Amino acid sequence: MPAGPRPPRGGPALRRLLRDPLGALGVALVTLVVAGAVLAGPLSRADPTALDLPARQLGPSWAHPLGTDHLGRDLFARVLHGGQVALQVSGVSVGLALAVGLVLGMLAGYGPHWLDNALVLAFDAVRSFPTIMFALALVTLLGPSILTIVVIVVITSFPVYGRVVRTQTQSLKTYDFVLAERALGARLGRVLGRHILPNVLGPVLILASMEIPVVVTIEAGLSFLGVGIRPPTPSWGSILNDGYTFIRDTPWPVLAGGLPLVVTTLGFTFLGEALRDVFDPTLRHER
Amino acid sequence: MAHARVSRRTFLTGTAATGLTLAASHGRPARAADPKVLKVRSYVNLETLDPAFRLSAPEGDIIDAILLGLVGLKLGETWGWERDAALSIEQVDPTHIRFQLRPGIGWTGGFGEVTAEDVKFSYERIANPATKSPYRGDWAKLDRVQVTGTHSGVITLKEPFIPLWTTTLPTTSSALVCKKAVERMDGQRFTLDPGATCGPYRIRKWEPRLSVTLERNPQWTGAPPPFDEIQALAIVDTNAAEIAFEAGQVDVTHVPMTSVPRLRGKMPANATLVARPGLTYWWLGMQSEEGIFSDIRVRKAVQLAVDVKSVLDGAFFGVATRSNGIIAPGLVGHRERNLIAGPDLEAARKLLAEAGHPRGFKTEIGARNTPEFVNAAQVIAASLAKVGIQAEVVPFDSGVQKAMASDKAGGWKKMQMHIARFSMQPDPSWATVWFTSAQIGEWNWERISNPEFDQLHEKALAEVDPAKRHAMYVRMQDLMEQSGAYVFLTHGINALLYRNHLKPAFTPDGNRMVLRRFQLA
Repeated sequence: MPAGPRPPRGGPALRRLLRDPLGALGVALVTLVVAGAVLAGPLSRADPTALDLPARQLGPSWAHPLGTDHLGRDLFARVLHGGQVALQVSGVSVGLALAVGLVLGMLAGYGPHWLDNALVLAFDAVRSFPTIMFALALVTLLGPSILTIVVIVVITSFPVYGRVVRTQTQSLKTYDFVLAERALGARLGRVLGRHILPNVLGPVLILASMEIPVVVTIEAGLSFLGVGIRPPTPSWGSILNDGYTFIRDTPWPVLAGGLPLVVTTLGFTFLGEALRDVFDPTLRHER
Repeated sequence: MAHARVSRRTFLTGTAATGLTLAASHGRPARAADPKVLKVRSYVNLETLDPAFRLSAPEGDIIDAILLGLVGLKLGETWGWERDAALSIEQVDPTHIRFQLRPGIGWTGGFGEVTAEDVKFSYERIANPATKSPYRGDWAKLDRVQVTGTHSGVITLKEPFIPLWTTTLPTTSSALVCKKAVERMDGQRFTLDPGATCGPYRIRKWEPRLSVTLERNPQWTGAPPPFDEIQALAIVDTNAAEIAFEAGQVDVTHVPMTSVPRLRGKMPANATLVARPGLTYWWLGMQSEEGIFSDIRVRKAVQLAVDVKSVLDGAFFGVATRSNGIIAPGLVGHRERNLIAGPDLEAARKLLAEAGHPRGFKTEIGARNTPEFVNAAQVIAASLAKVGIQAEVVPFDSGVQKAMASDKAGGWKKMQMHIARFSMQPDPSWATVWFTSAQIGEWNWERISNPEFDQLHEKALAEVDPAKRHAMYVRMQDLMEQSGAYVFLTHGINALLYRNHLKPAFTPDGNRMVLRRFQLA
C-alpha cells in the first residue's frame, strides 16, 4: 500500500524555474504580456477606440509606436488593451473550467462506480465536439460576446481537467492518509477538500497555465473570424483581421496583432513546461 | 536506390531557399498571357447554369455567353436594352409584346434551329409555379407565350408590367433554353449541361470548385468571337483575386472598394481600373415596432446624429458617394436629395431629451461580418456616441439577420439597429418591393407599414408614364425617410481591373461581365 505523495525534491521552486533557460524566458515573456495588459492605460494615453480618419494607416512614430489602423486608431493602445481582453477571457474561463473540472473530477474519482461512469461519459461526449464547430454554433445561438467565449471555453475544456483530477483522485484515495481519515469517519467534503484537493491542485495548475495560450488563440481566432469580441473593443484577433484586409496597404496591423499572440503563446507554453519540470522532474526526459 | 534523408537542417535549408527564390521572383512582370484565352475571376464556385435556378451573378455571366435572349442589356454607362436573338420586338399594347426571331440561330447537339416554341418553353417554364424557380417573380405577370409561326410569337401579360423591359427581358431570366433538350432531362432542369446552347461560346470543361471553360461554338453564325477560350476561375477571396491578377492568373477581376485608393496610386503594369457607381443600396435601419426605436423621436435623433460623410470616408475609403435613397442615379425614381441634409447634433440631443433619454442610451448595431459592414457600423457608433448613444457592434454571419427578422417566435424583437445592403436590378420596383407591409417578417426589417407606400408600389408597377412613375418612387423614398427608420448611406461602387489588351464589356453598374461582348483592344 503506498504511503503517500512525495514532495518535489530540490531547492525553492522559483529558483529552479529561473535556472531553466526555457523557464526564465517563459517568465520574462509572460511578465511582459501581463505587465503590458495591466499597465495599458499608463503606457499608452491614446483611446484604443477613438477614430481619427485623417490619421489612418500611419507607420510607427513617437505618437503611434505601432502606427494606426484603417480607422486611424492607435495600434499600440489597441494591442495593450487587447491584451487585457485576452487575459481576462483566458483567466476567467480557465479558472471556471478548472473549478468545474476539479469538482466533477474529484467526484468521479472518489464517488461510486456508476457516477464515475456517468461523468467520464459526459467528459468524453463534450470532448468529442469539434471545438470550432461548437464555438460557431454557440455564437450563432447566443451572439458574439466575451461571455459567449467564456462559455465556449469552459464547456470545451473542463473535461480536460476533470479527467486528470479523476485519475489523480482514484490514485490518492488508496493512500494511507486518506484511508485513515475515512476510518475516523470524516465526511466526503472534508476528505475531498482537505486531503485530495491540495494534492491534485499542482498538476492541474500546470495544465491550466498551458491552457491559457490555447484560450487566447481561441478568443483571437473567433475575433479574427468576426464572431468573438464585439467591435470596437480591441482584440488581437480583430486587429489581425483588419490587418489582413489591408495587408497590401500596410503591414503594421498584421504585425501588431500577430506578435502579441506569438509572445503570449510561447511565454505560457515555456512557463508551463518549465513548471512541469520543476514539480515533476520524472517527466523531464519524456518530452 | 538510395533514399533521400530529410533532416531538420535540410528541411529548414530547403524551406529558406524556396522562400528566397520566391522573394527574388517577386516584382517580376507576370508572364505574357495568351491573348486568345480570356481568364476571368468568379467570386463563387459555379454550380448551375440553368437560368431558372442560377445562384449568383457570375453564373449569369456564363449563361449569357452560351445562351441568347430575345433582347440583351445595352452596353455603356446608362441602362437600356437592345435586340439579341430577336429580329424585331415591340410592345403592341400594355399587355402584348410581339417578337420575331432571327432565322438561322442553331442549337448545338443537332437540336435544329432556335424557334418560337423555345421562347414559349423557356419563359413559361420559369413562370410555372410547378417549376419552383426562385426567379418566378420576373415572369409573374406572364399569361402565356403564343406561337404564331416558326420564328414569331406574342408574349401576353396578365396585366401591364413595366419592369419587363428593364429587369426581365434583358436579363438572364429570359435566356432561351432548348425545349427538346431540356424536356429530355429528369425533372426538366439541369445544372451545368443545358443539353444544347445557342450563343457564341459553348461549354468545354467544368472542374468543380475550380473553373468552367468555354470554347467557340462552331455552329455560331454571327460575328466570330475573338477568344479561343474563356476560363472562369473560382477565386472567392477578393485579396487573393487581386494577387491572382497581378500574377497574371486572371485578366479581369472585381477588386474590393478598399483597394481602389491604393490602385489609383499605383496601378499594376498594363492594366486599367474601372470604378462604377453601383445599384446596390446600403442603409442604417431601425426596427421600429418594439423597443427603444418604436419612438419616432429616437429614430429621428439617430437620423440627425449619423455623419454619413464620415461613414463613407471610414468604411468606403472615400470612393463611394452618399445616396439619397434606395434608387441609384440613372434609374427612374432616383431622388436628387435627402430630406435631412447632414448631421445636426443639437437637434438630435433635443429629440432624445424629449423622448426621455437626455443622456442617451445603450443599443446595438447588427452588421454583416465583413470589413465594409463592420467598419461602417463602427464609424456610425462613433457618430452616435456624440449624442450619448452607446452603440455596440454585433457582427453576424450573413443569413442570421434574415433568420432573426423572419423569426415567428419574436426573434425580430432583438433587432435594434442594423446596417444592410440589398442588391438591385435596374428598375426601381426591385428596391421598393422589400419595404412593403407584406415583407414584414421577411425583408422589411424595420417593420414600417405604410398603406400609402404599399399602394404606390403596386400602382408604379403598371404606370407607363415615366414622369408619373418617377414621382411615385420619389414619394415612396420620402415616406421611408419621414418614418425615421432609415439613414441612407451609399450605393457603393463596383471596381474592376482588366488588362489593356482587352476591350471589356460590363453592365453600367460594373456588377456583371458581359463575356460574349469582350473584345481584343
